[in-house]
Amino acid sequence: MVRFKNRYVLCEVVSEDPRCRQCIEDRALGLAVRDAITRVHGDYGLACCSISFTVKYLNAYTGTVLLRCRKDSYRLLCSALPFVRYLESRGQRYPCFLNTLHVGGTIRTCQKFLIEYNRTQLLRLLQNCTNEEERQCIQKSLLSCSLTEEQSQSGDEDDDDDGTE
Amino acid sequence: QNILTVYFLVGYSAVALNHVIDFKEKKQEITKPVSPSELFPSLPIVQGTSKRIKVLTRLTLVVSDPSHCNLLRSTSANIRLYDIIAVFPKTEKLFHIACTTLDVDLVCINVTEKLPFYFRRPPVNMAIDRGIYFELLYTPAIKDSTMRRYTISNAISLMQICKGKNIVISSAAERPLELRGPYDVANLGLLFGLSEGEAKAAVSTNCRATMLHGETRKSACGVVYTVKKPRKVEEEETAVPACKKAKTQA
Repeated sequence: MVRFKNRYVLCEVVSEDPRCRQCIEDRALGLAVRDAITRVHGDYGLACCSISFTVKYLNAYTGTVLLRCRKDSYRLLCSALPFVRYLESRGQRYPCFLNTLHVGGTIRTCQKFLIEYNRTQLLRLLQNCTNEEERQCIQKSLLSCSLTEEQSQSGDEDDDDDGTE
Repeated sequence: QNILTVYFLVGYSAVALNHVIDFKEKKQEITKPVSPSELFPSLPIVQGTSKRIKVLTRLTLVVSDPSHCNLLRSTSANIRLYDIIAVFPKTEKLFHIACTTLDVDLVCINVTEKLPFYFRRPPVNMAIDRGIYFELLYTPAIKDSTMRRYTISNAISLMQICKGKNIVISSAAERPLELRGPYDVANLGLLFGLSEGEAKAAVSTNCRATMLHGETRKSACGVVYTVKKPRKVEEEETAVPACKKAKTQA
């Protein structure tokens, strides 16, 4: 069967500045990643990786990013991701770094991994929780984690926690 | 302390705090290492498992003269308190001495400037047999472009000699934003010429082996060999205090 095979790289944006998360946008992130690839692999690397390069999914609350690239050039992309040092948007520079979580062949596998990862993150937040009400919120969302309704749930809960913390 | 919290967030299970001793200045005393319990009242738990994170202490000696190595052989009590000992040789002779005779766990490879010497096969092979690991830093590569070139060229020349065995990649991060997650560091290993399995090992199994090497170096100062004799009970009793004595002397 002839079809184009892609690789989906799941990353998390880690930053010290809380304002950085709010201005993550797909264009800024794409530019930052392309810039890093140019610095590390040069023109050849940029050309190879940008054949089918897009930012597929972006979650500003948790800082989760899903990138897509061709299977032949995903190594170039993955080896250049540690060199992303800052995100630039609207004239402001925010220092941050990308933490690669998972590389998968389809969006569905990445989604499954993300559900498990969010579940562990919620468990960790549960331990650091001080408020009883937050604790119950998190427990409720943990119990209702599933493939279809996970994304909105975990997005809401993290938003709550970020807001109240 | 901020840096450590980011490390734990990203998913490392053991971190070593480095203390560098440079011999260019006049005689320096080796100070006692900072105890990790001073930094954290209770160590947080590793992501994904239920064990606590280990914080180790590490000493790096920057040697440019053979007389500096005498410090390692001295019985100064403070050296024994460090978990891992690393040496940073500046000349070829010192590299040879470090690989063959010195009692260290790690040999640091300079990444910030062009190596003044080429690696040769015999000392590298002896180091691999002895269980000594070569260490590469990756934080200078992230910060600066010229350092990146030196890092990659030094790393690749090392790979060509040692075939990718016994490599540990570590960060010398001074700020929380300079460190990278373990998956990313393994991908950096690909840039240095390692194969994918070797790169993952450079972050996980080789580091663990270095920790164990440090522990054996700390504890096995002497081996007590007990022989079964007819009066077995008394023999064991006398053997036990002897072990304790050897440990406290060391």
